[in-house]
Amino acid sequence: MPSTKTEQMVMASLKARHRKEQSFKLLGIAAIIMALFFLVTLMTSILSKGLPGFFQYYVTLEVELERERLDPAGDLSDQSLFDGQAKKIIQEAVLAKTGAKKRNEKKAARKLVSNGSDLRLISFVQANPELLNSRQSVKFALDDDADSYFRGFVKKQTPEKQRRLSDLQIAYLDQMQADGLVSYEISDYLFFGSASRNAEMAGIKGAAIGSLLTLVVCFVIAFPIGVATAVYLEEFAPKNKITELIEININNLAAVPSVVFGILGLAIFINIFGMPRSIPLVGGMVLALMTLPTIIISSRAAIKAVPPSIRDGALGVGASKVQATMHHVVPLAIPGMLTGTIIGMAQALGETAPLLMIGMVAFIVDIPGGVTDPGTVLPVQIFMWADFAERMFIQKTSSAIIILLLFLIVMNGGAIWLRKKLERRW
Amino acid sequence: MLELGEVIVNCADVSVFYGDTRAINNISIDIEKQSITAFIGPSGCGKSTFLRTINRMNDTIDSCRIEGRVKVDGEDIYAPSVDVVPLRAKVGMVFQKPNPFPKSIYENVAYGPKIHGLSNNKNHLDEIVEKALTRAGLWAEVKDRLHDSGTGLSGGQQQRLCIARTIAVEPQIILMDEPCSALDPIATSKIEALMSELSAEYTIIIVTHSMQQAARVSKRTAFFHLGDLIEYDSTDTIFTNPKEQKTEDYITGRFG
Repeated sequence: MPSTKTEQMVMASLKARHRKEQSFKLLGIAAIIMALFFLVTLMTSILSKGLPGFFQYYVTLEVELERERLDPAGDLSDQSLFDGQAKKIIQEAVLAKTGAKKRNEKKAARKLVSNGSDLRLISFVQANPELLNSRQSVKFALDDDADSYFRGFVKKQTPEKQRRLSDLQIAYLDQMQADGLVSYEISDYLFFGSASRNAEMAGIKGAAIGSLLTLVVCFVIAFPIGVATAVYLEEFAPKNKITELIEININNLAAVPSVVFGILGLAIFINIFGMPRSIPLVGGMVLALMTLPTIIISSRAAIKAVPPSIRDGALGVGASKVQATMHHVVPLAIPGMLTGTIIGMAQALGETAPLLMIGMVAFIVDIPGGVTDPGTVLPVQIFMWADFAERMFIQKTSSAIIILLLFLIVMNGGAIWLRKKLERRW
Repeated sequence: MLELGEVIVNCADVSVFYGDTRAINNISIDIEKQSITAFIGPSGCGKSTFLRTINRMNDTIDSCRIEGRVKVDGEDIYAPSVDVVPLRAKVGMVFQKPNPFPKSIYENVAYGPKIHGLSNNKNHLDEIVEKALTRAGLWAEVKDRLHDSGTGLSGGQQQRLCIARTIAVEPQIILMDEPCSALDPIATSKIEALMSELSAEYTIIIVTHSMQQAARVSKRTAFFHLGDLIEYDSTDTIFTNPKEQKTEDYITGRFG
């Protein structure tokens, strides 16, 4: 039992204190639950839409690989194969399978197989020239409307006029499925295809490589400049009005909307320096400008966190200022610098607006082979796909978002691994 | 008057300012070669600041300004032509908190010789490291784990490692800024024994808060108070028969 007066007063106040603590705790838990709820909703929505996008429907057709028709020049060169009749051979295979005879029947049947199937047949022939002049089963992608039918987005009950497939086409598809020719498989077009208006052929390879090239340029420019700036400002620069002004500007630049950097890139790199549009080099330079403040600020924080006793120790044995910085301070600050850099790079990876400004939104089918080839990047690709009307692009958009997230997870994982590896205790 | 042998540090009218604040007032003092001199005084009396003027460690503080003349080995170390790198190789420093580099024990000791180019081959460097660690009394304890991290040692071992790191560069003077204040009594006694041994070869200047320590290890003692050098004499005189009232008050524990 409380004896003294003070103790009694303390006991009396305890209840209110406990209540306050309890409500504070509950508030925190509620906030976390809410955040988790939104996260789960987001992930469920993306995964439920996106995972089917990793797959698509294929049809296996028996094609007659006649050499004279496929490869008129007989040398298996791209030119010769393109001059050949790959498309016609596939169409004949479809007609044979469906039994379409009349003109309108033929037209309906031909539309069921993807437009880009001739390229697939050509690469099949190039990979297996020994199979020429024989009858082979080859898998082709179904057209996106046929794909949507198998996914159940196109329904038989809908009046024929209001759906994108005719009764006849649906009958053909049902027949193919009954014959066991239709398969649902991992979409190779998604991973190895490039930009395409045909939803079933569209893929992220070009955009992924564009993203990679852009990020490499961004890193190569932003990391050394950012770290050098941070080291200079933190270790060497005199503390005066000018450095103060620079510091304030760097901090403010970190908060500038990214699209502004895009306009800057457009005005300076493209209009004044006359660099080409749509290239990863300019994209990387613009993103580097955007990322620099983040890298500088985090690198300075990392340098500040190095205990001064380490500097003293180095200076005390007669190291020069540069030696003390390079041998001791920077190695200890590197993990923190890398963390900031990766955060900046992850931000850059997800950036769309500044790249729209410099024309990386162009429709580019070719996969960029270098930083000066026109290209696009993953978020811009997502942005473009989200705009297309075809049903299949909805899944492809979500799939691309998943891939972008995987990119981010891999980058962050790499950053954590690097930091763990380089971290030294003192 | 204090009788000194050969003088290695000669300070005349030294004043140190931090911005507009005067931390040291016109101090003139001579330090004897190859002996131990202790700086004592209450906190904030400027003894550490003054110690750091002798190897120009105060240069790292932007607002710090120094007047007067400090000569080491007859050379004015604040002359414009003086480079701090060779100066600090000649005047080494051991700090209050043990601050080994977060590297291996070997690299901690080898760092100084490496940057000064004292050794051009691995065997010679190994010898320097062994010699420095032996003289710091640490060799027997660490010879089997030279490539373990220096920060993994105990506090006392870390401080001896820092001493080894300093003497590996063969300085003439070792400045010690409260080297035992973070250590337990056993580690402290080891460092004190080490200082006595080292004083045969090196000039040691030690700042200490422990008057017992000053009395135990040093040959001369200087008493600082509020930026002034109050009294400088042989340690025996300071502790048994101080001339100044302030000194007596401090060493008898009436203030400080």
